[in-house]
Amino acid sequence: MGHRKKNRNVGIVGIGETKFSSHREDVNQPEMINEAVRDALNDAGLSIDDVECVVHGNMELFEMIHQPDLWHTLGTGAYGKDAYRLTTGGTTGGTLVAAADNLVASGMYDVVLAIGFEKLQEGHTTGGITNMADPLWARKLQSGALTDSAAVKVIAEFGEERAKRAAMTYRIIMDKHACLNPNSHRAFGLDWDQMDDLIKNSPPLIGNLRLIHMCSQSDGACAMIFASEEKAKSITDKPVWVRDHICIHREETLNLCNNYYPNQTTHKFAAEKLYERNGITDPVEYFDVFEMYDPSAWWGMDWIRDFFLLKDDEHIKLIENKDIMIDGKIPINPSGGVIAANPIGATAMVRVAEAAKQIRGNAGPHQIPRQVNHALASSFGGTMWTILFMLEKELNW
Amino acid sequence: MTKYFGVAIDDIFNSMAERFRPEGAADVDVKVGYDIREFGKRKLVISNRKMSLEKTDDLSDCNAVIKTDERTFVGVTVGKIETMEAIIALKFRVKGDQGVLALLPRLFLKLSTQEKDVKQEQELLVLKKVISVKQKFATGPVMGKFLKGLKEEKVLAIKCPECGRLQSPPREVCAICRVKNTEWVEVGPEGELRMLEYCYYASPDPLTGETRETPYGAIGVLLDKCKDEEVFWHLLNPAHLDRVKMGIVLGEKVIKGTRLRPVWSENRTGSINDIKYFEIAE
Amino acid sequence: MKKEKDFDINNCYTISGKLALPYTYFAGRTGSTFITHIRDNKKIMGVRCNHCNKVFIPPRQTCEKCLSMISDNWVELENQGEILNYTVVRYDDNHLPRKAPFILAMIKLGKADTPVIHIVEGISINDVKEGLKVKAVFAEKTTNTILDIDHFEPV
Repeated sequence: MGHRKKNRNVGIVGIGETKFSSHREDVNQPEMINEAVRDALNDAGLSIDDVECVVHGNMELFEMIHQPDLWHTLGTGAYGKDAYRLTTGGTTGGTLVAAADNLVASGMYDVVLAIGFEKLQEGHTTGGITNMADPLWARKLQSGALTDSAAVKVIAEFGEERAKRAAMTYRIIMDKHACLNPNSHRAFGLDWDQMDDLIKNSPPLIGNLRLIHMCSQSDGACAMIFASEEKAKSITDKPVWVRDHICIHREETLNLCNNYYPNQTTHKFAAEKLYERNGITDPVEYFDVFEMYDPSAWWGMDWIRDFFLLKDDEHIKLIENKDIMIDGKIPINPSGGVIAANPIGATAMVRVAEAAKQIRGNAGPHQIPRQVNHALASSFGGTMWTILFMLEKELNW
Repeated sequence: MTKYFGVAIDDIFNSMAERFRPEGAADVDVKVGYDIREFGKRKLVISNRKMSLEKTDDLSDCNAVIKTDERTFVGVTVGKIETMEAIIALKFRVKGDQGVLALLPRLFLKLSTQEKDVKQEQELLVLKKVISVKQKFATGPVMGKFLKGLKEEKVLAIKCPECGRLQSPPREVCAICRVKNTEWVEVGPEGELRMLEYCYYASPDPLTGETRETPYGAIGVLLDKCKDEEVFWHLLNPAHLDRVKMGIVLGEKVIKGTRLRPVWSENRTGSINDIKYFEIAE
Repeated sequence: MKKEKDFDINNCYTISGKLALPYTYFAGRTGSTFITHIRDNKKIMGVRCNHCNKVFIPPRQTCEKCLSMISDNWVELENQGEILNYTVVRYDDNHLPRKAPFILAMIKLGKADTPVIHIVEGISINDVKEGLKVKAVFAEKTTNTILDIDHFEPV
């Protein structure tokens, strides 16, 4: 059973991505978005006239353009169409996919175009994130999305040596993947023999969080086209089905500054609920790929446990044994993930897009070298906000 | 010789003399060492608007030594690898005077490569501005009561009538039990350090637009009478950054954190600034 | 219904804040061509969509109606046109380009199909009217913005 309230099935029929980079001086915002829109329409073999509704999103404080969807009509193709705008922090891209899924599933529209973008070079990312905090208290204290809390927690549990090596192993694996992905913003070509050097000498940001661990600040856009089952089958012979999605939010900004979680995280809560209603008992076994929203290597390595409902050090072992590599047991982020490219309003959508491309089998040089039928993609943002997507090659529920 | 990005490393060094710009080297007196894995060492000397390059193993008298590998060096020189990215990946390091990174491009013309940009170079316009907006925030009755408490050197927390958890700064409701909080409790003001965000990264303080001084410490203090997650978020006296220890409770494992006390500001107006920061309570 | 009184209105007050951050905007190729033509050649350029048969100003890379790529179809517009509509700005603020009161008008230049918004000077705020013919006065000092046209004034 998929989500029991879903009125009809929804398929992904078009995917477009710009290359992600640190700078795009040659285009303004609508021009950059248009590259992804054009790419998605071409991918689906559709024209803008076939699109009934456009959903658009990013984070306004990063570029300080309010209601950018108005100006962006120049690039989105929303002229004369129904249009919605969403802005939900790091999850923005995921919220866009969730909304498009709902808009099609409900029967409101047959074909919906979702667009996420960010041009982080135009603003100050850390300053922008800090401005989203509670103005009477947290704004003075917060340092954007940079935090040492995950590292402190993992080090306390597994010891400094093992924790730091596992985080750096995760980081190097992500870089190996990024080097395969032609769209990634940062692909350093890190070598395994750099491990100790990177652990010790990468410039520190906050506590144990070093520059090498943290995601990039990128420019780029992603566009995806969603269609009802009937329409999807007529548009493409390779639709990817959105079996289910779950959105869990626990906003508690003022009391977050802690180094352990007596309360369950939104990641774990979302995973439990999603698997329960879809009858998944062993997620590591079931899924063929997981595209995770991993803002830093510390978070990424820690969250594997929550998303896969693992116990003790099972998640650390998955990393140490390189099971999460592109040719491993459960590949995580063959795209390179968020550390390799983070155009924030697009980032969570890129996770779904990359997972869908893996199912279609045309991801490019970072295609997983075996059949991919079941994919998981996550979004993260706000303070405690998780969206999880289950994608399928077949209508198997 | 191996070529990277269509360029061999020898091409770079051999062409340095003809790419040298004496006009860029006025008042420059510098020795730069190159220590390139798989290739060897070179010393560049710039003095009296003249340059010389020598092959040597002794780079000890250089103002700065660039340590990298062949591929990265070529990539950075021809602009195929961003210098900052190579620095993050620890594939490009400058020991000594970091200023040479900005200086070197001034001294040499760019190496022309076969691979030319076919697009006609165009002037691309950029508009830079600081956007500054004045704001005014309403405290509301609950946050207002808490902030007024700080004025009297009191830290107030609000208690959930169902689960009993304390929130400080307070919220109108307990979001877990979904009930209105009504009872106030005075907590602290001393407590135990539970979380330290040791910040090296200088971000702008959005209240002023000014870059913060680093390093600084944002902390979570478990004030007396509070438990578990009920930590209080503020700043640490920067002078005490390296003298504190975080407390941790992890299952059976309990480590006590450093005891801290607030330092109150002289002029208190009912805001977060009424506490200057926390410091070690001797 | 009895209203529960569980808080004191005297605890409500306001605290001043500020939001100040640095931004950098890129005009892109099409936008840069538009501004540099004004700056260097005193020419105002538009782009034509051949499919929709419309000439747009400011120029854009794509036609917003049919989404075709149009940024290579440059058209030189006339430096004068007529006021379609206007407003008089009567308040001062530091983001405004002039001291109040001043006229902001939608001006349709010759050969263009869409109006451009700009400042009108050289006429009293009481005399400005729709249909008034105006011409561009170029700025002496460049800012690399649309204000390289300093203002429009009656022909």
